[in-house]
Amino acid sequence: MTSADFSVILPEITLALLAMLGLIVAVYTGKDRLAPVILWATAAVLVLLAGWIGLSGGETRTAFGGMFVDDAFARFAKVTLLLAAAAVLLMSEEYMARRDLLRFEYPLLVALASVGMMVMVSAGDLIAMYMGLELQSLALYVVASLRRESPKSTEAGLKYFVLGSLSSGLLLYGASLTYGFAGTTEFEGIVRAVSAGDNIPLGLLFGLVFVSAGVAFKVSAAPFHMWTPDVYEGSPTPVTAFFATAPKVAAMAMFARILHDAFGGVVGDWQQIVALLAVASMFLGAIAAIGQTNIKRLMAYSSINHMGFALMGLAGGGAFGVQAMLVYMAIYVVMNVGTFAFILSMEKDGQPVTDIKALNMYSRTEPLKALAVMVLMFSMAGVPPLVGFFGKFYVLRAAVDAGLGWLAVLGVIASVIAAFYYLRIIFYMYFGEEGDGLDRSSSPVLWGMLMVSAAMMVFGVVNLFGIEGPAAAAAATLVD
Amino acid sequence: MSLFLIVALPFLGALLPGLMVQAGRRACSITTGLVTLLALTGLLVNAPAVLSGEVQTARLEWLPGLGMNANFFLDPLGLFFAGLILGIGLLIIIYARFYLSREDSMGEFFTYLLLFQGAMVGIVLSDNVLVLLIFWELTSLSSFLLIGYWKHTAEGRQGARMALAVTGMGGLALIGGMLILGNIVGSYDLTEILQNREAIQASPLYLPALILILLGCFTKSAQFPFHFWLPHAMAAPTPVSAYLHSATMVKAGLFLMARLWPVLSGTDAWFYLVGTAGLITMVLGALIAIFKDDLKALLAFSTVSHLGLITMLLGFGTPFAALAAVFHILNHATFKAALFMTAGIVDHEAHTRDIKRLGGLRKLMPVTFVIATVASLSMAGIPLFNGFLSKEMMLEEAVHTTWAGSHWVLPVFVTIGALFSAAYSFRYVAHTFLGPVRDDYPHKPHDPGFGMWAPAAFLCVLVLAIGLMPFLVEPLVFTVAEAVIGGVGEIEEGYHLAIWHGLTPALLMSGIAVVGGLLLLALHRPLDRAWIATPRPEAKAMFDRLMAACVGGARGLTDALHDGALTRYAAIFTVTVVAAGAHAFWTGNLVVADRGGAIPDLVPLVGWALLVVSAAWLALSHRRRLLSLVLVSIVGLVISIGFNYFSAPDLALTQISVEVVTVILLLLALNFLPKTTPVESSVGKRTRDGLIAVVGGLGVGALSYALLVHEFAFETISDFHLENSYKGGGGHNVVNVILVDFRGFDTFGEIIVLGIAALVIYAATEALLSGPVRARLLNWVPDMVRAGDAHPLMMVVATRVMMPVVLMVGFYIFLRGHNEPGGGFIAGLVVAIGVVMQYMASGFAWADRRQRFPYHGIIGAGVLAAGLTGIGAWFAGQPFLTSDFGYARIPPFNEFELATAMAFDLGVFLAVVGAVLLSLESFSRIARRSNEQVSDYAMDIDPSRNEEA
Repeated sequence: MTSADFSVILPEITLALLAMLGLIVAVYTGKDRLAPVILWATAAVLVLLAGWIGLSGGETRTAFGGMFVDDAFARFAKVTLLLAAAAVLLMSEEYMARRDLLRFEYPLLVALASVGMMVMVSAGDLIAMYMGLELQSLALYVVASLRRESPKSTEAGLKYFVLGSLSSGLLLYGASLTYGFAGTTEFEGIVRAVSAGDNIPLGLLFGLVFVSAGVAFKVSAAPFHMWTPDVYEGSPTPVTAFFATAPKVAAMAMFARILHDAFGGVVGDWQQIVALLAVASMFLGAIAAIGQTNIKRLMAYSSINHMGFALMGLAGGGAFGVQAMLVYMAIYVVMNVGTFAFILSMEKDGQPVTDIKALNMYSRTEPLKALAVMVLMFSMAGVPPLVGFFGKFYVLRAAVDAGLGWLAVLGVIASVIAAFYYLRIIFYMYFGEEGDGLDRSSSPVLWGMLMVSAAMMVFGVVNLFGIEGPAAAAAATLVD
Repeated sequence: MSLFLIVALPFLGALLPGLMVQAGRRACSITTGLVTLLALTGLLVNAPAVLSGEVQTARLEWLPGLGMNANFFLDPLGLFFAGLILGIGLLIIIYARFYLSREDSMGEFFTYLLLFQGAMVGIVLSDNVLVLLIFWELTSLSSFLLIGYWKHTAEGRQGARMALAVTGMGGLALIGGMLILGNIVGSYDLTEILQNREAIQASPLYLPALILILLGCFTKSAQFPFHFWLPHAMAAPTPVSAYLHSATMVKAGLFLMARLWPVLSGTDAWFYLVGTAGLITMVLGALIAIFKDDLKALLAFSTVSHLGLITMLLGFGTPFAALAAVFHILNHATFKAALFMTAGIVDHEAHTRDIKRLGGLRKLMPVTFVIATVASLSMAGIPLFNGFLSKEMMLEEAVHTTWAGSHWVLPVFVTIGALFSAAYSFRYVAHTFLGPVRDDYPHKPHDPGFGMWAPAAFLCVLVLAIGLMPFLVEPLVFTVAEAVIGGVGEIEEGYHLAIWHGLTPALLMSGIAVVGGLLLLALHRPLDRAWIATPRPEAKAMFDRLMAACVGGARGLTDALHDGALTRYAAIFTVTVVAAGAHAFWTGNLVVADRGGAIPDLVPLVGWALLVVSAAWLALSHRRRLLSLVLVSIVGLVISIGFNYFSAPDLALTQISVEVVTVILLLLALNFLPKTTPVESSVGKRTRDGLIAVVGGLGVGALSYALLVHEFAFETISDFHLENSYKGGGGHNVVNVILVDFRGFDTFGEIIVLGIAALVIYAATEALLSGPVRARLLNWVPDMVRAGDAHPLMMVVATRVMMPVVLMVGFYIFLRGHNEPGGGFIAGLVVAIGVVMQYMASGFAWADRRQRFPYHGIIGAGVLAAGLTGIGAWFAGQPFLTSDFGYARIPPFNEFELATAMAFDLGVFLAVVGAVLLSLESFSRIARRSNEQVSDYAMDIDPSRNEEA
């Protein structure tokens, strides 16, 4: 434990210390009176950290004997998730304040969850990974049930907690089996043990399967997705927006890291698992969303569907697959931030509305916002030329290049099915029945987020804002 | 002009109408027209070179990582389509200028029209299939915008929905097909792909790719079974219908089939899929068109029919058929656009499109009548009009083609199709324009202004010119057809486009068609009645039902999976995990078992049986909570004994103290809860859950067994600890050394967690007691009869006596911990048990009052002590928590070791005591506030006390 170690992990430590400092300051001053200040400060810190990490660049560095890795891959994931968390925080303020939910714990829990996520994507060891995962999960369990007086919110938190513990237990079980057979918890050691023989020992295979199942829960991949719709629906909407963005990136990046850093020698063994998860998620997300009228539940299934696509990239194996996954996740996050900015602004008589029927003829009342939402929905459906298409295209190519043509074909079919419900939202907005529409909301932050996100979907077609290069570099450091 | 510029012009120009609309409608439409004209000129500048065989290209790297480059190329086929798109576009713009009423937002309309035009030009000029896909979907989007901004009826809305749903999904399928195609060839450039006919057709992925691509083409070009969307999209304004749904967008599918013709055609799959779909569409569309009363619906179905005709020709896969297809595309574009314009004029002037309310317009609108007649006769296939020429060629080709071994299927069906086609063409003219002038038109019609009929008239001139002098377009048609064929075959030498080819079977078939068409027209009235009377499958209704069924099915599936019950979620989770485990078990390879299973003695067997029985019993009778607690403690007891049996007295000691504390705390909690768990699930559900549990349990058991009888890949780490615990940690008790030294960090973390848990329990009860629960607690009546003597004398005395002994034992265990079984953790538990006994025997209030130190503080002190010990190592220049030790002898004790680890252990001790007691106190607070009377006396009944005093 030297100062060199600490310098590698400095961003995480900074964030953790600031979060704890925030807790103390808030407790000893006005408690929730300071909540808006803390929220804005946290968002600022997250953005600054993202800038710091993003610009630091440089070689791969490890700390604490390989437990913590700081490489281009981790940096890519961290920048994405930090920016996503900051965006969601900013979007939350008004909504939370108006519903008397703006407690000082909220931004700080988001910050702590971010610390957990940063550790997750940087972990070079099963134990470090688990620590990060649990830090993130515990913070998420709490924010899920932030609205304590609402039975739905508490139920969501409880369900998430019970199933989450189950999956954590499974992950630990897998990790201990892996440790038992590899003799080490370090990814580097595991990869040596795994690729040493031609045949992977049974215990390691069990370890791989159970660890994958545990992580699949965190990315809400089917069939471990059951918590997602209930939690999305029950949590306060800003929290749902958070769930849909940063943690997904972190879990997906962590998954990629385990699979490549620890089990990189047996790609064939996990490829099937990941492909299976991808297919199940894509189809379940596509089919189950069709019947939904609650837009939060719909977004839950939509995110399951999107995770399926991201997993498809991962299933490709190899650097291109990881690159595809990273690009997909980055695009996914931008789309979701924009969409949730819109959902947060859906109100009727000051009350939040989640029924998609409320969008009837929205294009009449707010043509510009309707246009932006239309762009986002088309982009989510993967319709060219919007940026969402490029994400889908990336992962499809990764699958095809890896010889998983069947997976790509199934992916296309799933995306056709999924297009149905995205289009339905557009239909409601443009061709719906006349009815009393939504209030005209005036939150500049939400409006700005929606417009920026939609504009990115349109103008990103020029060069995807140059994320290809960093994503490729990130993938190259992970898979070498 | 550069190809980039040609493609970009409409997009750049799309900015202008919005700006120009302020300057007036005329300026707005002129700008739009000029933009289109400029692009058309740019295209035509390139035409001579292209027609002489030169291929123009323009290349630009875009997203090279994806293989996506903005490459364009201009060959005769591209030129042909681009010319159609821009040329007809120009005419439509002129027409729309006069068609649109004052209330319509012209700026928006022209913006979207130009966007659409740009996308279409992009499709036909793309050299990269990915770029092509992008433009392809862009046409869907811009057409959606074009339709979406209209004042729409309910029917129009549904039409737009259906159009977008069908073409949008087809477009996504097309992406898949193109990806596969690109993967087979290894490049996404069309020019590359077109040169790899053999590789593509030999690939096993040819069929999936073909099907996916055809899905895209068929949906876009409204081919059977996707033909139903096009007529319903006709609610759009007439300029849009004429441009999108007749001349251009629906031809995109044809274009793509023509473009990929060299690599995809020629196989049986292509022939039967494309040819058959085209044939069915042609006949079916024509049949429906005859009985449509809405002028635009009639024309829509006729468009469907003609698109089917061209598709069928492309499906034949012969060079001559390709030639006919190209020719018919040209002819159809001319006469059909003209017809749509006339329908629009009629609608515009008479304010109705219902053929039943029209008739006799010949006298009122002579110009329109002439135009409509010329175009209709061409559509019917009457000689001297251009429609006749290409139809003849189609019939000719059909005669020579066998379908599934049969020579007559194609000729018969195409003749029927041509017959229907003639019938509706005649009807269009006869029922709209001929007949007596009526006096009940919704609006008195008359010919429109010059601007509105001129574009249609111009097209009619083309119709006649081509019809009379086919040699004018012969070079163009032949060059384009050769571009379609792409060197795969050759058009028969010496063939020319001509009106007269001699007395061929085709001519005969044409004759039958025309005569039959006239006959049908004459019989239309009775036939119409019969048509209305006969039930027939309505495609739209079927589509709606299909959609409803899909949505219903999806909802059913979702409800089945997500009923909100945690049990179901857990069940799915468990089943999946067990399945995953089974998968791992079957695919992994098991090294040979190298540890034999020894036959165990009787005692452990009994313990094992006890364990199994109590666990099973617990699962069966978990609703009786007290009983389950007893069973749980049996399990704990057996485990403790097990530890002892396997020579781990330390663990046994820890386990048993933990058991005692847990059971006591659980008992306390149970005090406030109902004594049984209510039954909520049905028998079936419980059986299912039971089965899952049994399978899961057996799976885990099997896995444990498999791991037990196999050596791990590495030596166990026990040896390391056994070797080093005395050397490095100064203790003989390995477990304790592991806890406080090797794994000091873990233990440090654990005591913190323990402390936090206790604090959370405290906070939770505190929150409860200050909330609404307080009132319920105050009114709470225990559901069981309480003992009269809550604090019996015997017990009080016994616990008082025991207290010093327990403390002594705790101290002893603490000190010996480092070498013998014991340690801070166990000592903490033992002391905690001693204190808990006081609480139980003498009552919460009494014990609480004698409690000097707040438990929070004890926990804090413990964590602090442990932390400081760890930090102490830093001052010795060692890493955190490194321990040091020496030996001391304080009489009358044995020699014992004085390690820094002991300070750490003290921290553990304090934290454990504090945590356990804080939890206890938290529970006790609930009890106290509910019903306990605080008594100042130690015992409720005390014989030595004088009750009277």
